[in-house]
Amino acid sequence: MATTIPTSAFIATPHRCSTGRSSAIWVQKAQFSASSSSLGVSLSLKRPSLRLVSVRCEANGAGMPVIPAQERWMYEESEINGPDIWNKTWYPKAADHVNTEKTWYIVDASDKILGRMASTIANYIRGKNLATYTPSVDMGAYVIVINAEKVAVSGQKRSQKLYRRHSGRPGGMKIETFDQLQKRIPERIVEHAVRGMLPKGRLGRTLFTHLKVYKGSEHPHQAQKPIPLPIRDKRIQFVKK
Amino acid sequence: MNKDKIFKLAKGFRGRAKNCIRIARERVEKALQYSYRDRRDKKRDMRSLWIERINAGTRLHGVNYGNFMHGLMKENIQLNRKVLSELAMHEPYSFKALVNVSCTAFPGNKAVPKKEGLSSIL
Repeated sequence: MATTIPTSAFIATPHRCSTGRSSAIWVQKAQFSASSSSLGVSLSLKRPSLRLVSVRCEANGAGMPVIPAQERWMYEESEINGPDIWNKTWYPKAADHVNTEKTWYIVDASDKILGRMASTIANYIRGKNLATYTPSVDMGAYVIVINAEKVAVSGQKRSQKLYRRHSGRPGGMKIETFDQLQKRIPERIVEHAVRGMLPKGRLGRTLFTHLKVYKGSEHPHQAQKPIPLPIRDKRIQFVKK
Repeated sequence: MNKDKIFKLAKGFRGRAKNCIRIARERVEKALQYSYRDRRDKKRDMRSLWIERINAGTRLHGVNYGNFMHGLMKENIQLNRKVLSELAMHEPYSFKALVNVSCTAFPGNKAVPKKEGLSSIL
C-alpha cells in the first residue's frame, strides 16, 4: 500500500467504543480558544504541553489553508476540513496502487497440494488479505512460484486428472493427464489452477500477469526482494501414505 | 418526457442510442430502471465491501470476521461496519485494540474433542 498509515499517537481505550459517534472524538482537534472565552478565564495553563491527539492535517504538513470563520461559507466542507474519511467509504487513488511499490511474495511449490496453494496465491494476488481491498482495483501483490514441477496432488489425480483444451475446429479436443502435462509444460499446471481462482474479466487478466511461475528453483526477480508467502493452511503439505 | 429531456439523459450512450429518439427512448427508460434498482443495490454492495475489508483486517490479527463481530456484539459495541472498515484501513492501532476487546469477550470456537469408545456414552 502506498498510503502512509498515520501513526496516530492516541491511546484507544475500550470504554470509548460504546457509541458509533465516539470515533469522531479520536480525530478531534484540541480546541481551547472557544471554551476559554466563554468562561472568561484563561485556560492557557491547562493546555497540555505534549499533544495526545495528533492532528492529521498538521501531521501531513500539506497545505491545508486556514480559512477564517467569516469566509467559511464560500468554501465546500472538503476544502475547509479536508476529505471526509468517516462518512465516505475510502476508494484508492492512483498513488495507492502503483505497481512498482507492490510487495513480491515467493512460494516453493515442492510437495504442496496444488489447489490449496493456488487458493492462497489467488487471495494474495487479488489483494483480499489487505484491509484496503477493493474489488474494482488491482491492490494485490506479485507472487513468484518456484519448483513448479514438484507440485503434488492427492489421491489418483496424478494419473486421472484431465486437462482439456480445444483448438476451435471440429474434433479438436486435446486431452492430457496431470503427469503428461507435468512432463511437457509444468508451469501450466499451476497457472491453470490459479487462473481458475482469479476473477474472469479484464481485471482478472491483468491480475493473472502478476503470477510468475518457474520450473526450477531459480527466478529472475531477485531485484524485487520477494518475501516468503505466509501460508496458514495446515493441510497444504503433501503427506505420502 | 419530451425529446430534449430524453437526449439530455442519453448523453454518453453508445452508438445510435444517444442520437436517435426511438432507440434513445428505450435505452433511457432502461437506464432509469437500472438506476432505481441499483440505488437499492448500492446499499447492499457497500455493506458487503465493508465486511470484506473488516474480514481482511481482522485476519491480519488471527481472528475471522464472524468471531470478531460476535465478540463486539457481546461487549455491546455499536460501531457499524462502515466505521469499522475505515478504522481497519486508517487507524490500525485502534483496530487492534478493538480486536483485543473482541477476543477477551469471545475467544473463539474451540473444536469439541471427539470422545473415543466408552467415554462417548458416559
